[in-house]
Amino acid sequence: MLLLNNVTKKYGKFTALEDITLEFSGGVYALLAPNGAGKTTLIKMLTTLIFPTKGEILWNGDGITGLDAAYRDLLGYLPQDFGYYKNHSPRDFLLYMSAVKCLGRDTAKRRTDELLETVGLSDVRDKKMRKFSGGMIQRVGIAQAMLNDPKILILDEPTAGLDPKERVRFRNLISSLSKDRIVILSTHIVSDIETIANSVIMFKDHKLFVNDAPAAICRTLAGKIYESDGAVPPGSLVLTERQEGGRTVTRFACESGCPAEARQAEPNLEDVFLTVFRDGQDDCLGVA
Amino acid sequence: MNEREKNASIAYILSQSPLKPRPARARAAGMLRAIGLRYIFWDTGYSLFFAAVTLAAVTALFLAAPGEYRYSAAVAVAPLLFLLTSAFAETSERADGLYELKQTCRYTIRQIAALRVLCYSVAGAAFTAVVAAAGAKDGYEFISLFPLCLSALFACAALSLAAMRFLRGKWGGAAFLAAWAFVSAALPFSLGERWETLLGGTPAAISAVIAVTGAAALAVQLSKMLSEADKYAAA
Repeated sequence: MLLLNNVTKKYGKFTALEDITLEFSGGVYALLAPNGAGKTTLIKMLTTLIFPTKGEILWNGDGITGLDAAYRDLLGYLPQDFGYYKNHSPRDFLLYMSAVKCLGRDTAKRRTDELLETVGLSDVRDKKMRKFSGGMIQRVGIAQAMLNDPKILILDEPTAGLDPKERVRFRNLISSLSKDRIVILSTHIVSDIETIANSVIMFKDHKLFVNDAPAAICRTLAGKIYESDGAVPPGSLVLTERQEGGRTVTRFACESGCPAEARQAEPNLEDVFLTVFRDGQDDCLGVA
Repeated sequence: MNEREKNASIAYILSQSPLKPRPARARAAGMLRAIGLRYIFWDTGYSLFFAAVTLAAVTALFLAAPGEYRYSAAVAVAPLLFLLTSAFAETSERADGLYELKQTCRYTIRQIAALRVLCYSVAGAAFTAVVAAAGAKDGYEFISLFPLCLSALFACAALSLAAMRFLRGKWGGAAFLAAWAFVSAALPFSLGERWETLLGGTPAAISAVIAVTGAAALAVQLSKMLSEADKYAAA
């Protein structure tokens, strides 16, 4: 079990994260927050790239810094800006990463071939990566993260910049890799996590705002989400607009006094995200 | 019990345990065996190429330097092989976008960089011998010049490792290279003959003591970089 105990991270006078207590025990955990909310800071602390200013991070009761290489052996990490060697093939790159991860030669070859198969890159395994698409590079990235069969898989914005088809493919891949391990996935794309996350963690004002199952988080807006092609009542929060049969249908959050022609809708994570992280308005809808 | 007392207790318990932490020498040997030279220098070809080109140009300048400044020139040129290869490799490693990822692997990029520095130091010592041999008029002068060149090499290597440990930006390696090159050039140009006389008049035994001290400082820096994971965050 991975445990964050009252973790705070400060850069000089700026507090990036404050007093975060979290427990990760298995399944997919999605860190959902706008850019700059502290997701990457948390991920960098979990990957020992930076250290907390206050508090501790424990793996099965032991501090991860003290565990040193033993902790890094448990870790698979795909950073937000995944650099790669353009002049090498994915196979060469994975064999190199296997060496740095201290896998034996035979294990490295076997895992490399298995993972290239899993991520659907077997047919280009010996091609140079310079001509790969963004999606293919991300798949190489997830393959390298999985080389050591990690107990903790950390993915920082893994679907950023991917086209919709690649994003779906990537989501399915993450879902299939999440058995018997902790997957921590950072994103600001709500649709990435709605179906695969067991738990959604949201930060607001650099503090933990909510940590719950997606359905439970959505329930906090039950009865408050409406759709209408007419006027939106004053005081309500406009969430999204879409075109339907030549009319503009507005989806909005409303505490009370909604017009009779508006129809109630099932709240989704995007509604919660937009409600929680709306600009310059206090939370009047009682989310979380 | 405060944090300091807790750490002291842990250190005491570990010191009494039959399972002691591996010394840096054993770690380095284990890493060399596990990773192999091929992967320690993987994708450093470009940086080594640029280092070789720069070194060739500087060596040509050294060979053309006036004979009365051979001590100053030899001491300035001796650490260059080490300095150029390590700074170019570190800068290119920092710029390629994999630095953070490699810092999260069993063998971190800093530990690998430390191993590279070790290899560059060995190559640098051989280059230093060549520089001293080319700069010395006779065998006696070689004995006096070689430890001076080694002192410059080891001082440069130890300081370069310290810079790598504490400068976190992409350009830390390059900044150190620039600073060292500036100081090495500024000393002979500003002090002129006095610098040459000082170097030429230093007894070989004192130069040897300085070289050994420099080598010890390098060993300490290497050991720290190989073992202290908790001190050096990469980001």
